Amino acid sequence: MLSRVADTIYWLARYMDRTQAMLQVIRTHYHASQDSPHEFSWRPLLYSYGGSLTLEEVAALERNTPRVLERLLLDKDNPTSVYNNVLQARENARAVQDHITQEVWQCLNSFYHAIRGGEILEQIRFGDPISGIDGLMRHGLVFLGAVQNTMPRDESYGYLNLGKQLERALQTTDTLRIQWANMTTQAQPDTEIPQLRYLVHSLSGQELYLKTYRGNFNPDSVLQFVLHNAYFTHSLRSCLSRLSWYFERLKSDSLPESHEQLAFLIGRLANQVKYSDVSARNAQQLDEFLLHIRKELLGIATALGKNYLGRS
Amino acid sequence: MKENSLLTAYQEQPNIWDEMFHANRIRPEYRNFVAAIENLPNAELARKDELARKLFMSQGVTFTVYSSGEGIEKIFPFDIIPRIIQHAEWLHIEAGITQRLKALNLFLKDIYHEQFILKDGLIPATLIYSCPQFLREMMNVKVPHDIYTHIAGVDLIRDSDGQFYVLEDNLRTPSGVSYMLENRSITSRLYPDLLPKNNVQPVRKYPELLFRNLLDLAERHVSAPTVVLLSPGIYNSAYYEHAALARLMGIELVQGSDLVVNNHYVYMKTTKGLQQVDVIYRRVDDEFLDPLVFRPDSALGVPGIYAAYRKGNVAIVNAMGNGVADDKAVYCYVPDMIRYYLGEEPILKSVPTYQMSDPDLRKMVFERMDKMVIKKTNESGGYGMLIGSSATEQQMQEFREAITQDPRSFIAQPIISLSSTPCYLNGVLQPRRVDLRPYALYGPRGIDIVPGGLTRVALQEGSLVVNSSQGGGSKDTWVLGPEN
Repeated sequence: MLSRVADTIYWLARYMDRTQAMLQVIRTHYHASQDSPHEFSWRPLLYSYGGSLTLEEVAALERNTPRVLERLLLDKDNPTSVYNNVLQARENARAVQDHITQEVWQCLNSFYHAIRGGEILEQIRFGDPISGIDGLMRHGLVFLGAVQNTMPRDESYGYLNLGKQLERALQTTDTLRIQWANMTTQAQPDTEIPQLRYLVHSLSGQELYLKTYRGNFNPDSVLQFVLHNAYFTHSLRSCLSRLSWYFERLKSDSLPESHEQLAFLIGRLANQVKYSDVSARNAQQLDEFLLHIRKELLGIATALGKNYLGRS
Repeated sequence: MKENSLLTAYQEQPNIWDEMFHANRIRPEYRNFVAAIENLPNAELARKDELARKLFMSQGVTFTVYSSGEGIEKIFPFDIIPRIIQHAEWLHIEAGITQRLKALNLFLKDIYHEQFILKDGLIPATLIYSCPQFLREMMNVKVPHDIYTHIAGVDLIRDSDGQFYVLEDNLRTPSGVSYMLENRSITSRLYPDLLPKNNVQPVRKYPELLFRNLLDLAERHVSAPTVVLLSPGIYNSAYYEHAALARLMGIELVQGSDLVVNNHYVYMKTTKGLQQVDVIYRRVDDEFLDPLVFRPDSALGVPGIYAAYRKGNVAIVNAMGNGVADDKAVYCYVPDMIRYYLGEEPILKSVPTYQMSDPDLRKMVFERMDKMVIKKTNESGGYGMLIGSSATEQQMQEFREAITQDPRSFIAQPIISLSSTPCYLNGVLQPRRVDLRPYALYGPRGIDIVPGGLTRVALQEGSLVVNSSQGGGSKDTWVLGPEN
């Protein structure tokens, strides 16, 4: 397969997974803004997904929820908006139409037309933003289903999954780190911290968490859950183990030395996560650990780019 | 003959050849088709029109217009009434194009080697050397099997006398063939059974023939040579066609950045390392092909590809430097080339062409500019053109000044009134002007012309400009098989 095609497919998957992650975080944040408006701020999200906003712009925006949502979801001038993610994903798909199935192309195309249409804007401004966001997320889910059900299990499928798992691991690491830093962890040990609930929600893990820990939201369990739970599709452990699994399948289509180098990086990181003993009590240690994971993930992305995707 | 209201409302125009009607009677090649549609309720044709639009949209047969930074995909307007050509007429066209292509190919070989045609004084040397598409870099380059013009899209028009004239030869990177294939597949859905009943010859073999020719050009002795299609990328207006042809032939669609030259061999970058490329069907113009030799600012090309080509390590289709043979000022020498190289009389007529570098002709053209078409010699796509009958005095004056300044870059031709054919527009049949572009493939085994081609339509009433960039559309082209 051409390196450029692999690169385009890999980024297509990354944009799509990023879109889903962002939508879930924004959705959870919107919920929080309705639940506890006093302790709530849009500020962290505006910093992460708002594009390059000045302090004044952030201050002007942050109290106006519909405008914040518009900025994060639909703003064409915000390079990190959901709109631009979808646009990029679709442009990528257009460039490699002969390597993805008609179904995958069509659902990306209809996602693009949905986010361009006026209905979602109406819902943000005057209706129920949650319905709007849910509508967009459904398009993302249809995409995942189309990939799963229609793509042949060839190299294209492999690069789609590498992109998806790598992006997901990055999103989990970032969401965990940013939301942990904004948490009021100094609260009394036996009172529940609401942000923990939002954190698990942001990673789409609420149902599994409730079942696993019987509704007991405490920092240690949440950290354990997000890092190590093998059944949770967004946990670092499962992202990395699937990353490694899909990567192994590419072995026969790789140069031996390229494969060996990547396999080493992925394996090392998976083990670092598996045998980590960071504690929820030590916020600084956790932050350093997560930054290290992030660096390693980016290292994998760079090595993949160099060895497989023709980037120098 | 005309009983149906759809047909009675149709007005033949004076002094214009109509493809379907002659003196209020339906021409024989159209009779079957008209018999099949004349009894359809009018709503049925409207439904077919709508169906065609939907099929084009859902199959993503689009070209992209980029404005305000955002790509807008448009469908190429399609008319549901086919254009039908008799078998005998087609044989004439086929023979004419084959002859022309042979002569043009010999001309290119000659002009880039011994230049007998210049030494014998048939074509003035200054005309060739002043042509910007004449590439000195191609002098004495041996191209595989001496073939330059692998793919040609010859533009034909029919004048009021019913004769076909060659308007342009398009020997560089002619486009539109994917629409020929698409139009046929849509028509077969619109008119079930009509194609076999009319004995319409199939066009579907085009990708097969092209792929066979491309494979034949590979020099390396391997069982499966690597053939690729080099496209400028998704922002090119013909990207759909590039992707479609690559898919139909099952070859990789590459961009300049996917290829790299090492030690005069061309490789493509794959996830498994470098893979040698044997044949490149390029849809990138000469000047962008190699930044080391041609335009240094080109990001679409591959540095070093010219040297690899010159060494014979990669075949490039069409050859570089073909532009000299479809320069509009060289065009008028093609009948002479046919006589010179083949010793035959030209089968297809050419449009009389006046070189503006000749002072007498220039004076003559300036005097009757309203009856002339003025064209720039190195532009296409309907740009750089003035149609005297519809130009204002000011536009004519601007062209006069431009011609006086740089006479070599202009030619003039008398206005040929393109033939017209009925189009289904706004619920009625209306006459619109058409041309015809058959696609000829020249490979080591000979010349193949798929029976059919792209019929382009000037959708504006009275307009003579059929180019898609200027508001043109297209029709399916039916070439009937031999009568038995």
